[in-house]
Amino acid sequence: MVLDAAAAMPLRLTVNDAPLELQVPPQELLLDTLRERLGLTGAKRACDLQVCGACTVLVDEQPVSACTYLSVDADGCRVETIEGLAAEGRLHPLQRAFVEHGAVQCGYCTPGMIMMAKSLLAALPSDADDEQIRLYLLGNLCRCTGYAKILDAVRAVLRQGQTGSAA
Amino acid sequence: MTEYAVVGRRLPKLDAVAKTTGETVYLGDMKLPGMLHGKVLRSPLPHARIARLDTAAAARLPGVRAVITAADTPRVKFSFVEALADKYLLCTDRVRFIGDEVAAVAAIDEATALQALDLIEVEYDELPCVFDPEAAMQPEAARLHNGASNVAWEVHQEFGDLERGFAEADEVFEDRYETSRVCHCCLETQAVIAQAHQGGRLEVWAATQAPHTLKHELDRLLQLPPGSVRVHYPPIGGSFGNRLVADMKAPIAAILSRQTGKPVKIVNSRTEEFETARTRYPYLVTMKTGVRRDGRIVARAARVICDNGAYNDKGPSTVASAGVTFAAFYNVPNVRYDGYIVYTNKQPGTGFRGFGNPQVTFAGESQLDMIAERLGLDPLELRLRNANRAGEAAASGARPGTCPMAECLRQAAAKIGWQRRRELPPNRGLGLAAMLHTGAGARMYGYNSASAGLTVDEEGKVTLVSSVTDVGQGAQTVMAQIAAEVLGIGLDEVRVIGNDTDLTAYDLGAWGSRTTWVNGQAAREAALRARERLAQSVAAWLEAAPEDLEFQGGKIFVRGAPDRGLDFAQAARLTYTKRGEPISETGRFVDELGPTMKGWGDVYPTFSTACQAVEVEVDPETGAVRVLQAVAVHDIGQAINPMAAEGQVEGALAQGIGYALMEELLLDGGRAVNPTFADYKIPTFIDVPDPQVVLYSDPDPTGPFGAKGIGEPGLVPTAPAIANAIYHATGARLRSLPITSERLFTAMREQPAAPGPRRAAETPEPPGGASPDQRADGSGPDKLQR
Ligand code: FES
Ligand code: FES
Repeated sequence: MVLDAAAAMPLRLTVNDAPLELQVPPQELLLDTLRERLGLTGAKRACDLQVCGACTVLVDEQPVSACTYLSVDADGCRVETIEGLAAEGRLHPLQRAFVEHGAVQCGYCTPGMIMMAKSLLAALPSDADDEQIRLYLLGNLCRCTGYAKILDAVRAVLRQGQTGSAA
Repeated sequence: MTEYAVVGRRLPKLDAVAKTTGETVYLGDMKLPGMLHGKVLRSPLPHARIARLDTAAAARLPGVRAVITAADTPRVKFSFVEALADKYLLCTDRVRFIGDEVAAVAAIDEATALQALDLIEVEYDELPCVFDPEAAMQPEAARLHNGASNVAWEVHQEFGDLERGFAEADEVFEDRYETSRVCHCCLETQAVIAQAHQGGRLEVWAATQAPHTLKHELDRLLQLPPGSVRVHYPPIGGSFGNRLVADMKAPIAAILSRQTGKPVKIVNSRTEEFETARTRYPYLVTMKTGVRRDGRIVARAARVICDNGAYNDKGPSTVASAGVTFAAFYNVPNVRYDGYIVYTNKQPGTGFRGFGNPQVTFAGESQLDMIAERLGLDPLELRLRNANRAGEAAASGARPGTCPMAECLRQAAAKIGWQRRRELPPNRGLGLAAMLHTGAGARMYGYNSASAGLTVDEEGKVTLVSSVTDVGQGAQTVMAQIAAEVLGIGLDEVRVIGNDTDLTAYDLGAWGSRTTWVNGQAAREAALRARERLAQSVAAWLEAAPEDLEFQGGKIFVRGAPDRGLDFAQAARLTYTKRGEPISETGRFVDELGPTMKGWGDVYPTFSTACQAVEVEVDPETGAVRVLQAVAVHDIGQAINPMAAEGQVEGALAQGIGYALMEELLLDGGRAVNPTFADYKIPTFIDVPDPQVVLYSDPDPTGPFGAKGIGEPGLVPTAPAIANAIYHATGARLRSLPITSERLFTAMREQPAAPGPRRAAETPEPPGGASPDQRADGSGPDKLQR
């Protein structure tokens, strides 16, 4: 990605709670800011079209496809990526559940899937049925698992309550 | 069934935590100091002569560091099978498919490299094309290569006496089936980094399933002295067969690196991936089956035409592999297989989960249901009458070893509620299909052995050096579980390293469901030797003979006297400090038949079997199919990690649903018309039911702890099971994949309105052997009219 410094615009945001001031060209995509500028490579580029969800991060708690989201649109926002989820060596309940339920195979979809699931915890009631969970996660593709164990993992955390705190 | 402490447990995979935190570094995440970005100029035409190629303007673009064409590459043709070599690293004077590599650029960033591609001037003289494999076989067809015809390779095998077999048959069926061009759709596209060192060595980071093979392939492609190449194989974002054969990006990056003195990275865009990363081979299968009235198959012949695309890749191997299995499946006494691999001006194919077996099984298992109907037999009963049985050699000489095919069939039927077949609501259908597949790789490459290194360090921690390629299936974890079981310690005590061909022993890679069976035996052997060493070392302290020591629960103790023992870690320390001995062992697994195998009877060391059953619902207004339920009963010998094994089946089944119902890369004049995830749909959360997976345990004495492979089988019977269920629901028999709603809608329209197709009028009286279940089933014509 050629980043044209001449046309750069100021960008203030927090990424995983760290406040940042950057200069980015207006056409720069959030995924490139995260991966190339900030070295946060957890979010993956897999389709470039906003159809696979591998690049999902949260902007002010809303899931977005960073591959098609302009960095400048995140000005003044709180960006959360997979790297910010585990705190001081303690995995987030979703991360633990993905590990324990065998929901991870190649792992390429996993960061985006977990971020989407994190927003699901806030959006769905803890007794949401499988159909609701499936519909919520519909935009995240996984080619390895057939989704069954991801569903198990997400359902398990959802049932524990929506706080996202220790399970 | 033997109870184990670590083997057979649902343990999290060793790499799982790092994959949930985003720490795992994939190739696409890697950057090396000074790294340049490469891009490949690809042919925009399916068949043409290169009249002029001018790279001067591209080379002048600021930021461009190198531009290469065929003139910069060794003049050597390549293919996975050396004898079938047909492809230059970069096209010399002719392009043969849209996407064929013509030139390449290295630049300071990707955008500059892309800009440089636009500045390369190429003039093409178009040549006549051939896209249809059957047309390509005709003598007058345009030729892709210099051979006598477009048939790149063919295979013909007969066992028994086919003619006599058909003569003895009461009924003979012949049908034609077509399978589609589907893409692996690994979420991580193909990528490579190459660094040519001044001292002559070439270091490559590749997303590969067969790193040691890649090493040799690069030697050949680049004409390097043997031993020049070192391949690192970091975690991969999916593979499924897509990363078995060298992709030209690797040697291209190597040459660009040599010219620039910098590491060069090349990554496929998603569209490039769809257009050029190679697909599952489409097959045309003509299946001819002769049966006796009691359902016994007495003769079977398959004629397979494989659409090779423009170059050989795994075409010969997949067609041959599928034949080997076909010849053994159902133990047909008289069987023939004819395979043709035909060049067309299209993207080449490659192996994809099942190696030709999904294609041929779709044909065979679809046809069996039609045969069952004609004979008035329940499809389940027909399969039970023909099921392979343990220890029974097939006409080809193949021995399926343990083979609980009948059990898998019965369990799958029971779990799906097969008896409901006659009482389902409208537009619902039940279908099942069985399969046979290798459970242990193949010996066709002359080597099927492995070795592993195991060290117990001075703290009692175990490091296993294994050649396995962990593509997400959990191969390293499985190896660790095997070692931990032997040593009587926990999984946490074992680390597995590998991922580097300089470190690991030669190995054929992760394909053919071979890793557990082949590499697992080497890991087990290495651990056994370490155990022996430790036993000898501590026997004196424990005042016991080494062979009387037990390794269990992290302790080594005298059999029958658990208090006369010491900790595993303590034993390791003593061995180092008091005896002055390291504990470092090599485990070898030698498959002696590799180099000496003769014929199709020896190709697979052991087989695995399965049955899948599905319930579908068809929307009569649109032809859209929903898979409501899926049951997969898979013979796995002994699951080393049931959670990981289930994951393999569940993932494969989802891919099988995609193969059956939605996936197809559509080509128009050789050009992909749907090369994005927006237009090429793969199953999502709502297309896949929560499947019931049963891992059928029947330990295979040849495998480590009785285990065999499970990587591929989960996809093999899915499409025919779904096709059979759709037939049951609608009476429409679809012989081409995928069964899209449009195709099914059209087929349903062409059905005779009544009486219902489900029990065709010509169905004869059930023969004496029909099951009671079936007779009842056959008597429900009212349901059939829906
Ligand atoms: S890469 Fe952003 S949605 Fe696929
Ligand atoms: S685990 Fe591989 S894509 Fe989901």
